Amino acid sequence: MVKRIRDWLEVRIGLDELIRQNLTEYRVPKHINLFHALGAVAVVGYVIQVITGICLLIYYIPHADHAFRSVQDIMTKVPYGWLFRQMHVVGSNLLITAVLLHMVTIFLMGNYKRPRELTWVSGGMLLIITLGFGLSGYLLPWTQLSYWATTVVTSIPTAFPVVGDFFTRLLRGGNYVTGITLTRFFAVHVSILPPLFVLFIALHIALIRRIGLSATPFGKSDEEKRPLTEYRKKTHPHGHPYYPYLFQRQVLMGIMYFIVMFAIVTFAPTFFFPEEATVPADAFQTPENIRPEWYLLAPYQMLKLIPNKFLGILMQIILLAVFIFWPFLDTHKEKNILKRPILRGVFIVIMISLVILMWWGRR
Amino acid sequence: MKWCIMLMGLMLLVLPVTAWGDYREEFEKGFLTKTWSGQQPEENFCIECHSSEKMKPEYLRITDEWKASWHAQNRIACHDCHGGDPKDPAMSMSPHRGFVGKPEPNEVPEFCGKCHIGILKNYLESGHGRAFRSSGNGPNCVTCHGSHNIQQANIEIISEQRCAKCHSYDRARAMKQALFLTEKKIEELSRDLLSLRNEGVYIDDDRMNLFSIQADFRALFHSVDVNLVKERTDEFSHKLAAVESRITATERELRFRRNFSAIILLFFVGMGSVLYLLIRTPKE
Amino acid sequence: MRRRTFLRSLLAVCGTLSFASFAYPLLRFLAPPGDTDKEKKVTLAKKDIPVGTSRVVLFDQKPVIVINHQEKGFIALSKVCTHLGCLVEFNPATDILLCPCHAGTYDLEGNVLSGPPPRPLAKIPFKVEGEQLVIG
Repeated sequence: MVKRIRDWLEVRIGLDELIRQNLTEYRVPKHINLFHALGAVAVVGYVIQVITGICLLIYYIPHADHAFRSVQDIMTKVPYGWLFRQMHVVGSNLLITAVLLHMVTIFLMGNYKRPRELTWVSGGMLLIITLGFGLSGYLLPWTQLSYWATTVVTSIPTAFPVVGDFFTRLLRGGNYVTGITLTRFFAVHVSILPPLFVLFIALHIALIRRIGLSATPFGKSDEEKRPLTEYRKKTHPHGHPYYPYLFQRQVLMGIMYFIVMFAIVTFAPTFFFPEEATVPADAFQTPENIRPEWYLLAPYQMLKLIPNKFLGILMQIILLAVFIFWPFLDTHKEKNILKRPILRGVFIVIMISLVILMWWGRR
Repeated sequence: MKWCIMLMGLMLLVLPVTAWGDYREEFEKGFLTKTWSGQQPEENFCIECHSSEKMKPEYLRITDEWKASWHAQNRIACHDCHGGDPKDPAMSMSPHRGFVGKPEPNEVPEFCGKCHIGILKNYLESGHGRAFRSSGNGPNCVTCHGSHNIQQANIEIISEQRCAKCHSYDRARAMKQALFLTEKKIEELSRDLLSLRNEGVYIDDDRMNLFSIQADFRALFHSVDVNLVKERTDEFSHKLAAVESRITATERELRFRRNFSAIILLFFVGMGSVLYLLIRTPKE
Repeated sequence: MRRRTFLRSLLAVCGTLSFASFAYPLLRFLAPPGDTDKEKKVTLAKKDIPVGTSRVVLFDQKPVIVINHQEKGFIALSKVCTHLGCLVEFNPATDILLCPCHAGTYDLEGNVLSGPPPRPLAKIPFKVEGEQLVIG
């Protein structure tokens, strides 16, 4: 029976060929480490978000009068609703962490260099989309926390001259965060961002597969030496087969992701639910110490520190552009960051200042 | 090419510096407060004048007392009791805007009873209320609760110090004993509810339910009739038991959730360690 | 080799268990919520509420006031004040529902007339079936 199904599939989709190409004969560099599996962890994270998100969508009501109540009902009345909501909430924060870690390791290993510039750019777009998911999803429970954090974040574009106010009004669907903002953010969260996300992740993965994994250890291999005038896939004929070698490590890291997630759900179930997250949104009462989500704290704090509005927002845009188009700016052939003291210094300074800005923004 | 981009970046940076006119203060005003919310904190001229130096020292205390009060915490401001118009300094204390200054002693119950209707009704029928009505100056709201620095009521208001000002403490003590268990229970349950809320549970329905029970009980107390309180205590403990059982059910549910996710955690830890060992095992 | 086989089967068991521990909640999550609404209905005889009077019944464990108004006919409103949950009282003379705790007032439609309540009183759906009034 199994054989017949296999044969049936073999004739139609070429199963053996697929397995051979993608699993056993797809070889990865010998010196691959667990950090190479971070991208796969992000994929696991996205899959969890999609599945739990669809679950929540079944009971969620995107209306200012019902949103809060429906989320509370998911938490209290719907059997195991809490599980899926917790996974979605904890998952969203872990996912952003995983994506950031993925980018940092790629950066440190110099794997964004030619011919992988577009892989980096699509990855940067994915980060922005992920942050967009985080931002739009944050408002949906319609709590004091989400309402005021959204008010704070959506006021950021007002710093931009001329079109800033218009952009904020466009985001909010009016002058203030209201039920109109809620439905907008809902639409963005469940129907505008997902297709964009699929587009970019398809591009991202297709590029990775087309160009081939970059080799570690660092140093100059043929890719770095020869002028890049023609396409040549990077293969690792002496490497390990993808399955089971890298695959096992990816699964292991995926399991680690689940372990961290459920450690938080078990031992700190309120980690992402401060007191304001249990109070329905109230436009007439601003809670103390409102601030955006942690992953937006650094840019927010930066904006607060720079006294010139336009300069502040311009800095953000320039930094973002530098970040996304970094491979085009850094055309140095040396991949090993240990041999590039200036880049290393800049990286450390940026990391430290991000941490300081985040910590500062918290208070 | 590279230099071209660098130059453009630099130019973009330099440009806004020419527009460096506005400073932090203006930035914070324009950016941090402008579009944050629909509701700006309302100007309140009552507070402004009554905390200024023009005021007589004994009036100066009032705003601070109010700010520390339960009323202030629940956003009940001056004009909610005294009338008048807090937004218009010229007319703020005009009788045309419904301003009532300090009520005469015989007006106090009606003054508070504008809002606390249920309490007023029971109070007027009570021994306290009858004494007050016959003399026009008996024990009334402010005798026990104070006026501006009103705190959330609790059973400790019934004390020898207060009650013995007018009569012997014996009957008050009997009343306090009759109230004691129910009051303690209410207090305990609201503490439990708060701790549930800190665990992320939505408790508003039960909080309102508990408030309603408490309000009924407090209204009953204002009849200052020990026998009536004793008679109806059973009914209240029934209602409180229902709230309590819901609280315990929620606590049980939270424990279950913790265990459930701990089990999932264990499965994954097991899976992870087995896979780790499997990766480590050399192939034969 | 035996160690490998053992580890593999252990992995399979762990994997199945954790998969199942998501599958069961998912099934429960998707299962339709229990159909208990029908039992909750409360029936009243029309003649028990003469014109100009009101009656309080328990519906879904919450008190509901059913008013037979001279002009507007039958009205069913939740008695629970939306401010802090005290029970409102109906005053037939003024056609106003008044909360004894903080003097919130509502009209016969449940709309807030004055006082602290943030929302109107909940309207309770009901049907007139012959001589019966079915609430729910």
